[in-house]
Amino acid sequence: MATGHEHWHERGEIYALGALDGQELKEFEAHLASGCPICEAYLRETRETLAVLHRSLRPEAPPLAIKSRILDQIAPQAIVRPRQEKTPWLNWNWWGLGIGAIATAAVALVLIANLTRTQNELEKAKAQLAAAQIESAQKDELLQLLSSQDVRLVELKGLEAAPAAKAKLFWNPGARSGILLINGLPKTPTDKAYELWGIAGTEPVPAGVFRVDDQGQARFRMPVLGQGKNFDKFAVTLEPAAGVEKPSGPMVLLGSL
Amino acid sequence: MPADPTIAVHLIQKVANQDRDAFSQLYDRFSSLVFTLAMRMLKVRSDAEDLLQEVFVQVWRQAQNYSTERGSPEAWIVNIARSRAIDKIRSIRRMEKSFVLTDDPARAESSDNVESSAAESEARMAMNSALANLPETQRKVLELAYFDGLTQTEIANRLAEPLGTVKTRMRSGIQRLRDMRGTQAV
Repeated sequence: MATGHEHWHERGEIYALGALDGQELKEFEAHLASGCPICEAYLRETRETLAVLHRSLRPEAPPLAIKSRILDQIAPQAIVRPRQEKTPWLNWNWWGLGIGAIATAAVALVLIANLTRTQNELEKAKAQLAAAQIESAQKDELLQLLSSQDVRLVELKGLEAAPAAKAKLFWNPGARSGILLINGLPKTPTDKAYELWGIAGTEPVPAGVFRVDDQGQARFRMPVLGQGKNFDKFAVTLEPAAGVEKPSGPMVLLGSL
Repeated sequence: MPADPTIAVHLIQKVANQDRDAFSQLYDRFSSLVFTLAMRMLKVRSDAEDLLQEVFVQVWRQAQNYSTERGSPEAWIVNIARSRAIDKIRSIRRMEKSFVLTDDPARAESSDNVESSAAESEARMAMNSALANLPETQRKVLELAYFDGLTQTEIANRLAEPLGTVKTRMRSGIQRLRDMRGTQAV
């Protein structure tokens, strides 16, 4: 690649590794700060290449409690939107205005109302588009998973606590992950969640919590499970909302590989 | 094979609007990857758990700064995790230079013995074919930088090799990974 950037690329690669130091680091960061698009793109591409390093590690699942700790820490915050400036014409003395000025203000009001409505419609359309894109991408992902040669179908049947329930788990043992499609589970109580378990012999391993909609349906993508366990069964129990490390509630679904 | 990044991009966009459900899904997708990386880099479980928490709180707070121009969601999140982990590793190293003795056996074991660290990584890494095909000398410098947070100068000192040799090995290793990635993508 003859871009005249070879010496920057050398530094960029070592920078992407996190190993650049000394004067070279200072110079490269200054070069990046100057907004060089070639180096930015090269750095981005190098980071994607280096991903093979962390993807080669044997996956380890974090303790469930960390997720609830984080969710507690990120308490809902109101979104701060820029405050609309008070328009000066509101403070004018209307009695001193002529009819023309009133007409102008009326037109302005109509325009502002229309603009506001258009903005609201635009926001709504953007939200609908984002939702449609997520749904489409989720379908693509499901198709991709289903078309994998490794994927195994596990049918989970409703137990005594939820006899009408059923679920299908598309389990990819290589990726140590899968997608669970659930039907007919009772609505999730406010303070509870359903928890999926991978069972290796007699040992249950938590595989994520989910809730169902009003129709008792859900599509749940499970997190990547740790190595070292050969799962031969999968089950769903009803647990406290944050999930638990060991099953404590009633088992509602069970299926074997 | 990495998952389709499209969903993760949309989830980050929703997280930017303070959507907790989207955040929960994003966490489910990437928490294992971040935790695995944190365990490899920091080696102490409680530190890895703290790092995981810090990374996702940062993701929540800075989601509005993410754009696809900054790379894939995975690369963005991993970059946050590595930067924080490297800061911690270097801070511990500075502290250990000041205090010769440490009363934390896990830490003492973890940071000073690069040879054992490299051996541990051998055992811990389930090498995929791409990484296993990398020459040992190249793989070693990449691991020392990427996972152990050593700079090029520190690696040269540790391995008692000229700085130029270390740089060449790093670049050759990255180039090989790039070639393999290109081959896989076809």
